[in-house]
Amino acid sequence: MSAVPARRAPFDRVSLLALPALGYLTLVYALPIIWLLLRSVTGPHGFTLQPLASFLSDPFNWRVIGNTLKIAGLVTLVCLVIGYPTAFALAWSRGWAQVVLLSAIILPLSVGVVVKAFAWQIVLRRDGVVSSALTTLGLAEEPVRLLFTETGLVLGAANVFLPFMILPIYSVVKLIDARLLEAGATLGAGPLYRFHRITLPLTMPGVVTGIAFVFSLSVSMFVIPSLLIGDRYQTLATLTGRSFLLMRNEQLGSTTATVLLVLAVSVVVAAALVARRVGRSG
Amino acid sequence: MDAFLEIAGAERSFGPARVLGGVDLAVASGEFVSLLGPSGCGKTTLLRIVAGLLAPDAGTVRLDGVDITGKPPHHRDVGVVFQSYALFPHLTVAENVAFGLEARRAPRAEIRAAVSRFLELVHMSELADRSVRALSGGQQQRVAVARALAVRPKLLLLDEPFSALDRKLRETMQIELKRLLRELSITAVFVTHDQDEALMMSDRIAVMNRGAIEQLADPLTVYHRPASAFVLGFVGLSSRIHGVAGAPSDDGFVTVATALGPVRARGTAAPGAAVFVAIRPERMFLSAPGGGAESIAATLRDVVFQGSKVQLHFAGTGADQIVVETAQLPPSGFEIGQPVRISFAAEDALVFPAEVAR
Amino acid sequence: MTRTERAAATATWIIAGLAVVFLVTPLVVTLAVSFGSTAVFTLPPPEWSLRWYAKLSRTSGLLPSVLTSLQIAALSTAIALVLGALCAIALVRGRFAGREAIATFLVSPLMLPGLVIGIAMLQAFREMGLRGAWLSLLVAHVVIALPYVVRTVVGALQLFDFALIDAARTLGCSYLDAVRKVMVPALAPAFLTSGMFAFLASMDNYPISIFFTDAWTKTLPIQMLQYVEESPDPTIAAISSGLILLAVIALLIGDRLVGLKRLADF
Repeated sequence: MSAVPARRAPFDRVSLLALPALGYLTLVYALPIIWLLLRSVTGPHGFTLQPLASFLSDPFNWRVIGNTLKIAGLVTLVCLVIGYPTAFALAWSRGWAQVVLLSAIILPLSVGVVVKAFAWQIVLRRDGVVSSALTTLGLAEEPVRLLFTETGLVLGAANVFLPFMILPIYSVVKLIDARLLEAGATLGAGPLYRFHRITLPLTMPGVVTGIAFVFSLSVSMFVIPSLLIGDRYQTLATLTGRSFLLMRNEQLGSTTATVLLVLAVSVVVAAALVARRVGRSG
Repeated sequence: MDAFLEIAGAERSFGPARVLGGVDLAVASGEFVSLLGPSGCGKTTLLRIVAGLLAPDAGTVRLDGVDITGKPPHHRDVGVVFQSYALFPHLTVAENVAFGLEARRAPRAEIRAAVSRFLELVHMSELADRSVRALSGGQQQRVAVARALAVRPKLLLLDEPFSALDRKLRETMQIELKRLLRELSITAVFVTHDQDEALMMSDRIAVMNRGAIEQLADPLTVYHRPASAFVLGFVGLSSRIHGVAGAPSDDGFVTVATALGPVRARGTAAPGAAVFVAIRPERMFLSAPGGGAESIAATLRDVVFQGSKVQLHFAGTGADQIVVETAQLPPSGFEIGQPVRISFAAEDALVFPAEVAR
Repeated sequence: MTRTERAAATATWIIAGLAVVFLVTPLVVTLAVSFGSTAVFTLPPPEWSLRWYAKLSRTSGLLPSVLTSLQIAALSTAIALVLGALCAIALVRGRFAGREAIATFLVSPLMLPGLVIGIAMLQAFREMGLRGAWLSLLVAHVVIALPYVVRTVVGALQLFDFALIDAARTLGCSYLDAVRKVMVPALAPAFLTSGMFAFLASMDNYPISIFFTDAWTKTLPIQMLQYVEESPDPTIAAISSGLILLAVIALLIGDRLVGLKRLADF
């Protein structure tokens, strides 16, 4: 036993490499956000919840929040229903099928939201592709206007955010050991039971990540609703944007921004907590 | 024998590679049979066919009188212990063991009783609520065995279950497993590439090579009367002395002319054929010059100390190798380069056709 | 396979096929419209023509916004690569408390509403005295690019076997030489793909950038949205097609460098 206790620094020199990035982000990103939050609860006489209170006491604003959550929920649901099986198909695919699937998922991600939102504007029009498809298939009697409707918005947003549901689930499905399913079968479990008790629980972490991503992206989206649903339907994000950019009402804009931020952060934190609990084995 | 497990004509190819060519195997109820062979010999493929995880190109599998060839694994009542254990990572030890019974919708009380019983049998009761991710290799192995046995399958298949364990642990587990299987009267087929393991555990061994069973017999026979040069080489060490076969005598022996003198050995060969004589090292003895029975002289080249025994390697000509194993060191020790007289019984010597050089 | 398994597999492939069509629809529609001859967005177009591409050169404000976007994207990506790479090394090799929290912090700009970040920055920059639109854009876009770089490079570093550097040193290289010869080639793909995605994210960004425009400084997405609101015609589709082409090139480069599968790593 040495008589002199070794002196351990709380960090080593390599850690210092993180300082430039951390310092930059703190100064340019974290501090401004904290400041925004602080100012939304600070009035001329100090701490006040008045702006927030008056915002939340207006039923119109509650409708806006409701819209936001409803759309986000629907988009997440659609993405989950389509994305979960697609993630499996991606994991199973080989050769050109894999190339097609991967390209179809990654290419739109690289293209950008404005391009896609604008394209959906075209697609959803009364004389657009979706409408003609529906009437041709006999599912609608007359041309359907999906633009400026919630349905159209959900479709367009789901289209943009689908990769964010597929990829996290795919990354988890990839890791599932095929031997586990074989073991389940030799123990007497049929295909449905194996899915329910082996595959599904093991994919949960990916599902939670996907839901967190898509829901928070949907809550925050601005360009897509601007183009697809117009001014009469407001979400928190579009309200915030309009307050700042059109109405020049910075007070309202800051308040709505705060509410939006709190909402988005809650989603992320809730997802992280659920993920941790799900990741821990039973 | 009334076969409990009967495999007939099992064939399987993967693309152009023929992994199994028409394999037949019959296993009696309660028997422990090992499939022993090098990697690529088809033993795991055969196991997976019996388990229902792989469909054979041809052939049938019958278990307890029922043809199970077309049945999916969850209808076969065949348990499997995988090489990688394949424990469910999101479940505890107890939940893993309970899995099969829960899948069969057994009553809760029965499940609880079975789980505690089988955890007890593998000495894992205290760790019942532990996550399997926190277990050591040996512990995981035991849970895997308990899990497979908990549903009381008709047949237990094990795919090199001990290969990832260190030697001491492996030996313990081998003994434990045998005891467990005997106690529960479970029929088992065990895949391994480790011949010591197969010799130690099996009632019978099927030595496989290139998709076929070269010999199916009890361990003693496989070791002392290997059916082919491959089995001889795969199971245990042997000395090999090459030569030319002489005329066979009618008592089942033949005299082979070798560079070290004439040697009498068991077996048959066409006169003039190139052959080699094989003798197990522990059946060769050091004797003073002029010793009896079959006798050759060779120069000592190497001494290998192995704890409980000593291996002496002697210089041979060409493809010959001469190894003698003895538990006792002669009082004077050994000198490299020393000429030594070696004797053995013709009974213990076997004749095999010489391998053609590729 | 049992019947249940076969049915489930078939359903899965069908849904995946529909998903592919769904995902590709906006791109196909954009391309089709851009090659149409009429100003109305009918599909399929009655006639094919390149008039909208020709109109691109006559569209005011387009070239400046493209240049602005390219400049901002290139510079912010470069800065983010440097800051992010250093930080990634610290995260993977350093020992200090709260590494996971810091990693989450670095990636958080991806998870928070861009609009809120933009507003916060706008107000803060004003207070700090940073008024120039171009410079503000640059500062903001580094924040956008940084998460992509950190996440990808950390992932690549975690896969890198640092024993290789030791091996190179025992073979006679100095430490820097070993890093250069062994680590840089191994990490180059990660840098390139993360740089690519950061670049594209910057080119695409709207919610943050909208707060930092003035008469002379507009990024491409902002300019495009302006066109859509003022005078929607297929010229926008032509611009979009250009962006799609850019994305396809990026995808091909990414595939050549690391393979499509690795690009999909989340």
